[in-house]
Amino acid sequence: MIRLALPKGRNLPVVTAALAAAGVDPAPIEQGERRLWLELPGEGLPGDGLEVLLLKDWDLPLYVEYGVADCGFVGTDVLDEMGGDLLVPVRLTAGHSRLSLIGRRGDLPEPGSQVRLATKYPRTARRLVAERSWGAEVIKLSGSIELAPLLDLAEIALDIVQTGRTLEENHLAELEVVAEVAPCLVVNRASYQQHRETLNDLVGRMEAAEVAR
Amino acid sequence: MRITAALPTGMAALLFDAARRRREMEGRMAGELAAAGYSEVILPVLDYLEPYEPILSSASRGELYSFVGRGGELLALRSDFTPMLARLLAPRLPSLELPLRLFYRGDVVRYQDERAGRQREFYQVGAELLGAGDDAGSRDAGPEVLRVFLRLLSMGEARPIRVVLGFAGALDEVLLGAAGEAGAELAAALARRERRQAGDASRLLHRLVETGLPEDPAELGAGAAGKLRRLLAVRERLAAEFPDVGLSVDLAEFAPQTLDPRLAGSGGRRSYYDGLVFRAYAGQRGLPVGAGGRYDRLFHTLGAEVSAAGFSIDLERLMDGRAPRTTLAAAAGKGR
Repeated sequence: MIRLALPKGRNLPVVTAALAAAGVDPAPIEQGERRLWLELPGEGLPGDGLEVLLLKDWDLPLYVEYGVADCGFVGTDVLDEMGGDLLVPVRLTAGHSRLSLIGRRGDLPEPGSQVRLATKYPRTARRLVAERSWGAEVIKLSGSIELAPLLDLAEIALDIVQTGRTLEENHLAELEVVAEVAPCLVVNRASYQQHRETLNDLVGRMEAAEVAR
Repeated sequence: MRITAALPTGMAALLFDAARRRREMEGRMAGELAAAGYSEVILPVLDYLEPYEPILSSASRGELYSFVGRGGELLALRSDFTPMLARLLAPRLPSLELPLRLFYRGDVVRYQDERAGRQREFYQVGAELLGAGDDAGSRDAGPEVLRVFLRLLSMGEARPIRVVLGFAGALDEVLLGAAGEAGAELAAALARRERRQAGDASRLLHRLVETGLPEDPAELGAGAAGKLRRLLAVRERLAAEFPDVGLSVDLAEFAPQTLDPRLAGSGGRRSYYDGLVFRAYAGQRGLPVGAGGRYDRLFHTLGAEVSAAGFSIDLERLMDGRAPRTTLAAAAGKGR
């Protein structure tokens, strides 16, 4: 039985909707409340069903890479930050957002200037800064990133923007879209070899339902 | 300084039973290799960096622990046995009787990001066969070392064992035809099994991502088609010989192992492979437990012409894979 890791955060409703479109009934997940490990039995499932783990986004790639889970859904923002050697067969067509540089002043730093950049994505930020004409001291934060430029902890921030409403309400501007972010299916190489047909079947159903590509 | 039992990140001490189990496994493997005609070599843990400059990929360079020695020379801790053995043997080859069958065991150290299953010190057992044959898939060095590799893997307790086969340059013509000099990026996308990029490029690449094989070997071009047919024949023979091992040919897995210079830079740490390549997974772990292949061009770069093939097995990973995955039912039982 394939073990699938699902993210507990903002991507969970998007992922369960995609599973439902592929013929997997996600009701036990929605009814499970606090359960972190459950099975999705029933007809129409690839193979002999799915075992589901509910994990924090940032932990999910490790569970999959190490082989505790065969596959999982995680945002490309987390995946790019974590690195690792995972297969990424498809991205979901819903749940998209942007990884953007945000700031109070409305402009990117001047060429040659040195700023502080607050983010949950320090590796991604360092890669980004390495290609810019300005430099930055990267400050790793765990949440409420928008506060950093508002309170002058940093001049700019690198964070997820969904609708832009939070930025608007906090008098911040989206300075530059760095990457489009989407939930994607990740699989470890060993599991792909062992469960290739089942995984291709699941992915094929998602593509047919146009919830993944 | 307060004395604690802490070790640097990625290092581990094996004590008591763990040490005994590893020595036992290592001893059995060494015995098997010796019985198959392989002689042991013992290599230094520290070496000059300079001889490796022409063969280091950017991936392998990033993993090195290197430093300036007391005499001002650049030194590096051993990170891979194969290039070390090759650079020591290349100047001596004219005086050596071929074929040479050698094996080694010992630690390599590589910098890796801190995460589950990613140690920085690995204990490896490996073997190399020099001067025995022509190219992948025929009766040559590749299949012989692959057979020994399968025998050693089967000595571990981890099940299932899955071994993926391919050959370097298999998709070069297809990649260049589909993406020109952006073919290296497409190769990386294929190795990640990105279906959209593959499908956008061609139907053939989409099929390779899904199944690992073309419908007809001829779709790969004349040279690669012949090699694929020979590799499929090797797989058939070995599958009959090792019924407990899942052997599959998957060309997408090794797409970045290219030979054409226009696709250079995509091969990763083991970019020296130029013929048969293989990688093994064992038990429930997602990380490979061993890998190998044909690497004549490594010797060519070092100024020697000889056929060469070999493999290494990571003993900790192989032994770690022996525990079966905990099931939900079993965990629920424990909780009662």
